[in-house]
Amino acid sequence: MTEVEEQKGRIPSRLAGVVAVALALLAVDHARALLSEPIVFDPEERAPGTFPAHWIHGSKSAMDNDDPPVQVHAYNEHTIIMRENKAINYEGAFMYLFFGNDRVLLIDQGSTSSPALFPLRETVDEIVSAWAKDQRVPEPELIVANSHLHGDHYAAWNQFVDRPNTVLVGLTHEEMMAFWGFTDFPGERIEFDLGGRLFIVTGSPGHQGSELSFYDTWTDLLYTGDMFYRGRLYLDDWSAWVASIQRLGAIADEFPVAHLVNNHIEMTNTPGVDYPIGTTWQPDEPPMQMTRAMLEVAIKATEEIDKPGIYIYDDFMIYNEIPWATTTDP
Amino acid sequence: MRNALLALRPERRVLFGCLLGLLISTPCQAHLLNMTRVSIVVHQTDPGTLRVEIDLGQSLMSAADYWALASAEGNEQLRRLQPVLEALERGLTVEIDGQRIDSTFVDAEFEAASLAAISNPLTPQMAVLRWRLPPQVGSVLTVELASDLEVPWPCLIRVDSDRRNLPVSRLLTADRLTSGSLTLADTGERLAVQDSRFDLFLVYGFLGFQHILPLGLDHVLFVLGLFFIGGGARQLALLVSCFTVAHSLTLALATFRVVDLPADLVEPLIAASIVYIGLEKLLTTEHTAIRRQRLRYGVVFGFGLLHGLGFARVLGEVGLPDGEFVLALLAFNVGVELGQLLVLLLALLVFGVFRHRAWYASCIATPGAIVVAGIGLYWLGQRTVG
Repeated sequence: MTEVEEQKGRIPSRLAGVVAVALALLAVDHARALLSEPIVFDPEERAPGTFPAHWIHGSKSAMDNDDPPVQVHAYNEHTIIMRENKAINYEGAFMYLFFGNDRVLLIDQGSTSSPALFPLRETVDEIVSAWAKDQRVPEPELIVANSHLHGDHYAAWNQFVDRPNTVLVGLTHEEMMAFWGFTDFPGERIEFDLGGRLFIVTGSPGHQGSELSFYDTWTDLLYTGDMFYRGRLYLDDWSAWVASIQRLGAIADEFPVAHLVNNHIEMTNTPGVDYPIGTTWQPDEPPMQMTRAMLEVAIKATEEIDKPGIYIYDDFMIYNEIPWATTTDP
Repeated sequence: MRNALLALRPERRVLFGCLLGLLISTPCQAHLLNMTRVSIVVHQTDPGTLRVEIDLGQSLMSAADYWALASAEGNEQLRRLQPVLEALERGLTVEIDGQRIDSTFVDAEFEAASLAAISNPLTPQMAVLRWRLPPQVGSVLTVELASDLEVPWPCLIRVDSDRRNLPVSRLLTADRLTSGSLTLADTGERLAVQDSRFDLFLVYGFLGFQHILPLGLDHVLFVLGLFFIGGGARQLALLVSCFTVAHSLTLALATFRVVDLPADLVEPLIAASIVYIGLEKLLTTEHTAIRRQRLRYGVVFGFGLLHGLGFARVLGEVGLPDGEFVLALLAFNVGVELGQLLVLLLALLVFGVFRHRAWYASCIATPGAIVVAGIGLYWLGQRTVG
């Protein structure tokens, strides 16, 4: 047999090798698909979750505080709530990560820009990476979004500008509307899918003109941002807030809302008593989550309040269209 | 409701419209803190505006000076404001296409409830200052704050242009004092973290490199396929050059939209090119070697054209900055070439050292080509069937 014939003779086995490599890769693909079935976020069945008994709530001396800069709490496997250390910034802002099969939604970026003081990006990267590892899937795309456009909710936004596989919604009203697809803000309801996990997004201005609320059909959490939380509800536009709180009421009537979640805690456990602005230690703070009954109180308040001023309720205070420097602090 | 309306503390707010003093009361804006906002509106034919919202009493002036400023009227107010205007005009740079834009101060408003409120950083008392900008036909805008300009951080930048559908926003912090290049038209844009042509070159160069290593496995396999075909260093260099010239050509043509093929067509064809280049090694016998070698340059050139379309799609997703098309395109290409050269270098280091061994073909080159063609076939199926 000549060398050429010998070479020709080897061709079928080489071609078989090529096909074998392709088939092996297909088999690996198939096995991976079997092992990583998409997560089912069934809206018909409420996903359980827990809140911590107490959030880390600052310390007497901010200088001596040794708590982590970002407290991370898993409400459940696919829902993470983070809180900024009150010793870093008195706002003690809450931030949220909602995971879906395709994307993960980060709502708000806290009140501190410096990654050295407040390493939010690092924290989020670790959470996303660990989640992907646990689920045996590639890391999902991160959406960096904001509940509204106040500086204490986007201060660490810059930490994400160079993050790969990330979409930044933007820090203007117009960019927010375009991203979520609003054409009739604020009354419209937008359905937003994170990959099997469906959110209903609606406008909730009043505290700030671009504010959004999110209802998670999987956990039944209704996220109300700064327009409704246990604290001083500073209302820039009373009539807009009235319409917004009634819209949230309509969502709560229509869907089985489990908890209302938000961004700050400013009240104490004593009904009608708040911590002064700037407090960095809140040993007697109530839970962050609120109830449907509290929302009803707010809806009822819209019928009672007819002029600017401060109105005090057990679980929140309404600062209705009054100047910023006005306070109930002694 | 537990309590009735509480008595409000008296508040005073002074509005200054250049020469007009006016007392008004405005609603609160809680949780805004005292972060700075810079808004820029540019038009091609009409004058634009520069608006700065800043807590002056906690930054460029003392609380007492700010209270005195807000309480003053007319020329006295202007006189007190002058050092602030000078500091801002010196420390806040707006450039369009690299040229600093001259602005003309228009008016200001001062929120000043009380000296106590100004002194308390938790009750920000914001000043709003406005300048007029001349009409602008340029395409790239940058905003930069001097490191010695003391403003409350972060500083939100908003830019509106009559050539954009949406505004663009950036956040400046003590660590990042420049907005980078913001394009004033909807075409191109999207990547804008660089603040000079050199930085832009680096950013796009890195993007190109990244699209080979680690993101461009299909291009890496094609280059490895060429490597396994063998031949001398001269032949390999010629083949890689053919590939480079071809993909540079279609990258440029597709970027400028002279050529536009759908990804559904380009991606399977790229996979097919990898299969071909693997089979090229596997099917060649001594009998066909000369004929195939002659054809090979043309084939590789053709496949290079295809791969260029793939690169162009990636570049299209990132966008090219207006006014810097050529530089960014060149940088991207340089990055791609460096990536390819590194792949070849690594292949030479790992496999090339054994090229003269008797077992090189049977133990390295042929199995290597089988793997290359096999992966190409797998991708071809994936990209064709879905």
